[in-house]
Amino acid sequence: MVNLFYPRKTSPRLDRLRELSLFVNLTPAELQIVDGLLHERHYLEGEVIFDEGEEGQAIYIIASGEVLISLPEQGNGRRATQADVNESAAYHPLRRQGDTGRVAQLGPGTFFGELALLDNSPRSATARAASPCQLIIFFRDDFVGLLDTHARIASKISRELACHLGARMRVMALSISAHQHLV
Amino acid sequence: MVWAAIIATTCLLLLVFQKVLWLVVPFLLALILYYFLYPPVRALIYRGVSRDAAASLVILVFLALLGIVGVALMPRLASQLAQWQDTVDRYVQGGAQLLDASLRSLEGHWSTLARARLADTVAARLSQGAGSIGDHLEPVALGIMAWTPSLLLAPFLAFFFLRDGRRFKRFLSAAVPNAFFEKTLFLLHEIDRTARAYFQGLINLTLLDTVTLAAGLWLLGIPEPLALGLICAVLAWVPYVGSILGGLLVVLVAATDFPADPAMAYWAIGLFGLVRLLDDFVYMPMTIGKSLELHPLITVLMIFAGGAVAGIPGLMLVLPVLGVVMVIGETIGLIVTDPRLMARHRYARALRREQASSDL
Repeated sequence: MVNLFYPRKTSPRLDRLRELSLFVNLTPAELQIVDGLLHERHYLEGEVIFDEGEEGQAIYIIASGEVLISLPEQGNGRRATQADVNESAAYHPLRRQGDTGRVAQLGPGTFFGELALLDNSPRSATARAASPCQLIIFFRDDFVGLLDTHARIASKISRELACHLGARMRVMALSISAHQHLV
Repeated sequence: MVWAAIIATTCLLLLVFQKVLWLVVPFLLALILYYFLYPPVRALIYRGVSRDAAASLVILVFLALLGIVGVALMPRLASQLAQWQDTVDRYVQGGAQLLDASLRSLEGHWSTLARARLADTVAARLSQGAGSIGDHLEPVALGIMAWTPSLLLAPFLAFFFLRDGRRFKRFLSAAVPNAFFEKTLFLLHEIDRTARAYFQGLINLTLLDTVTLAAGLWLLGIPEPLALGLICAVLAWVPYVGSILGGLLVVLVAATDFPADPAMAYWAIGLFGLVRLLDDFVYMPMTIGKSLELHPLITVLMIFAGGAVAGIPGLMLVLPVLGVVMVIGETIGLIVTDPRLMARHRYARALRREQASSDL
C-alpha cells in the first residue's frame, strides 16, 4: 500500500526514452506503455535504413549515432564520408545548390521518416547511417493502435510531431522567401 | 507462381497439422477464445489497466463464469446423463421410424421398390449394423476423456496469447535483418489482421447461422429452437460434415417429437438445406471469405481441397491456414523479387563481415 505513494521506478532505458524529443512530455507510466511498442535496431556506418520511394511504415528515432538523409540523384549510391559527418551536425531541411544530394544529417534525440506515421506515402528521401547508430522504431500501426487505446499518449506524441513539422515548414518558408529575395 | 506455392504450402501444412491434431485443436480453440476475449481486454487497456493485469483479469472472470455455469448446470446435466442412454436411444428409434415410414410410403407409390422389399431390407441392415447404443457410447466417452487434457490447454494458451502476443511479435521482428525489418513488421501486422478478421468472421457466421436456424425451427414449432440452432451453428465450424451432423440432429428431434407428423421432419430437412445454401454461398463469403479477401470460388474450391487432403481437420483448418500462408507468401514474394532490398541485405552483410574481421 505504501508503495503506491512512492514514485514509479524508472530504468536507464526509460530515462533515455524521455530524453527523446518525441516523448519529452510523457509521464513515466506513459513512457512504459510506449516502450512496449518500440523496436530497437543497430545499423553500421553506410547501411541504408530506407530508400526514397519505398512505402513508409515507421518513424525512426535516433538513440545514438548519426543518420544522413539524402535525395536519390547523388545520395543513393554513395556512402557518407567523414567529411559529411563533420560538416553538418544541424538539421538543414532544404537542399541547397551545390549540395551533393545531402538534405540533412541528424544526431541523437532527433527523428526522421515521421510522415510515415501519418500516411503510407512513399519515402521522400533516402536515410543512411552516417556512423554506427542505434535507432528506435515506432511502427505506424502501433501508433494508430495507440490512438485507440491511449488517446492521451497519442495526442502528446502527435503534438510533438506537429510542432516538429511546423518548425520545418517555417524554415522552408524562410528559405524560399530568402531565395526569392536574392533572385 | 506465387499462388501455386501458396496453395501447395497450404495443402502441405494441412497434412502436417493432421498428424499433430492434439496440439492444433487446442491452439485453434485458444485463438477463437483469444479473439472472443480480446475486446474486453482492450476495453480494460482503454481504461488504463496494464496489459498483464487486463489479460489476467479477463481470463479469471471468464473461468469463474465458466465455473458458475458449470456448477449451475451440473445437477441438470447429472440427471440428464443418467437418462442420456435412453434419450439417445429414443431419438435414434425416432429416426429409424421416420426412415421406415418414408420408405414404406415410397413403396406405396413405386411397385418396383415394393417388390424389392426396400423398407424391410434397410430395417434389417440397420438392426444388424447399429448394435446397441452402449457400443457406440463407449468410444465416444473414451474419446472425450482422451481429448480433455488437450482441450484444457485452450484457456491457458488464450491467456498467454492475450498477455504476450505483443512480446512475441517483437521477438520475431528482432530476428529479422535490417533490410527486411519494415516489411516484416507489416507482415506480422497483416497476419494478425487476417487471423482476427477470420475468427471474428467465424463468430459472426455462428451468430447468423444460429439466428436463421432458430427462426426457421421456431416457425416450424420444433422445441428448443435456439439451443438446436446454436449446436448446429457450432457443428458447422466443420464445413459440410458438421452441417450433415447438425441436419441429422434436427431431423431426429423433429421425427421423435412429432412421430405422427412425418411432414415436420421433411420441413426440417428443407429448412436445413436452405440454411446450408445460404451459409455456403451467402454467409460464408460475406463473413469469412470477405475477411480473408478471397474470391468466393477460391473459398469453396479450397474447402474441397482441404477435405480431400486432410479430411475433417482439413475442412476446419483450410481457410485460416490459407489466409496466413497467403499473407506470408505474398510478402516473401515481394521481398525476394525486390532487387533493391536484396542488394541492401547483401551490402549490410558485407559491412558486418568487414567489421567483424577489421582487427584481425
